[in-house]
Amino acid sequence: MKLQILGTGCPKCRKLAENAEAAAKAAGVEYTIEKVTDLNAIMAMGVIMTPALVVDGQVKAVGKVPDVESIRKMLA
Amino acid sequence: MADCCCSKDKKTILLYACSGGANVAEAADLAVREMMFAGDGSMFCLAGIGAGIDGMRQTARDADINLVIDGCPVDCATKVFDKAGIDNYAYLRVTDLGIEKTKGVRCTKEQVAAIVAKAREVLADKLKGCCS
Repeated sequence: MKLQILGTGCPKCRKLAENAEAAAKAAGVEYTIEKVTDLNAIMAMGVIMTPALVVDGQVKAVGKVPDVESIRKMLA
Repeated sequence: MADCCCSKDKKTILLYACSGGANVAEAADLAVREMMFAGDGSMFCLAGIGAGIDGMRQTARDADINLVIDGCPVDCATKVFDKAGIDNYAYLRVTDLGIEKTKGVRCTKEQVAAIVAKAREVLADKLKGCCS
C-alpha cells in the first residue's frame, strides 16, 4: 500500500504522516510512505488545501488531519 | 496556489459558478471571481468535479462550505455536485434574483453586484450555522 502525504512540511503535515503510519501499522498492512512537498505536484492531483492523504493514488482526505482510527478505516 | 494548513484557522470556503453560455452564467462567473479576489473564498473548478478528478472531489467533500452559483433553473452546477455525491453545498440561482436569462447579451456590473451581495448573505448564514 502506498501512502502519500501532500504538504509543505508544516506541523499538521507531519502529524498526518504520523497518524497515517500508525494507522497502517494498526491495520497490519505493508506500506510505503512518501511526502510530496512540491506544490505543482500537489495541485496536479487536484488538491488546493494541505495536508492531504493519498492512498494508492486515491485522495482520501484534504485540508485536515484525520485521527488514526479514521485513517485505518480509509485503508480498509 | 495550495493554501498551507498552518497559515490560518478560518473556514475553507470554495466557490463555484456554472460558467455557462448565457448572460446569467457570465454574471455568476464574474461574481465568483470578484468574491475570490475580495477574499470571500477560493474559486474552485466545477469542471474538475464533473470530470471526476479524485483530488478535486475530495477537496470539495472536505471543504467547510461549498457555495454553488447556477445561472438558471437548469441547475447544471448543482447537478454536477449531486451526481458526484457531494452534498455539503449551499446554493444560489441567478434567475431567482430577477435577472433574466438571455443569450448573446453581456451581463451588467449591477447584476454581478447583486449576485455578490446575495452570495455573501448565503455565506454569512452558513457560517452562522457552522459556528453555532
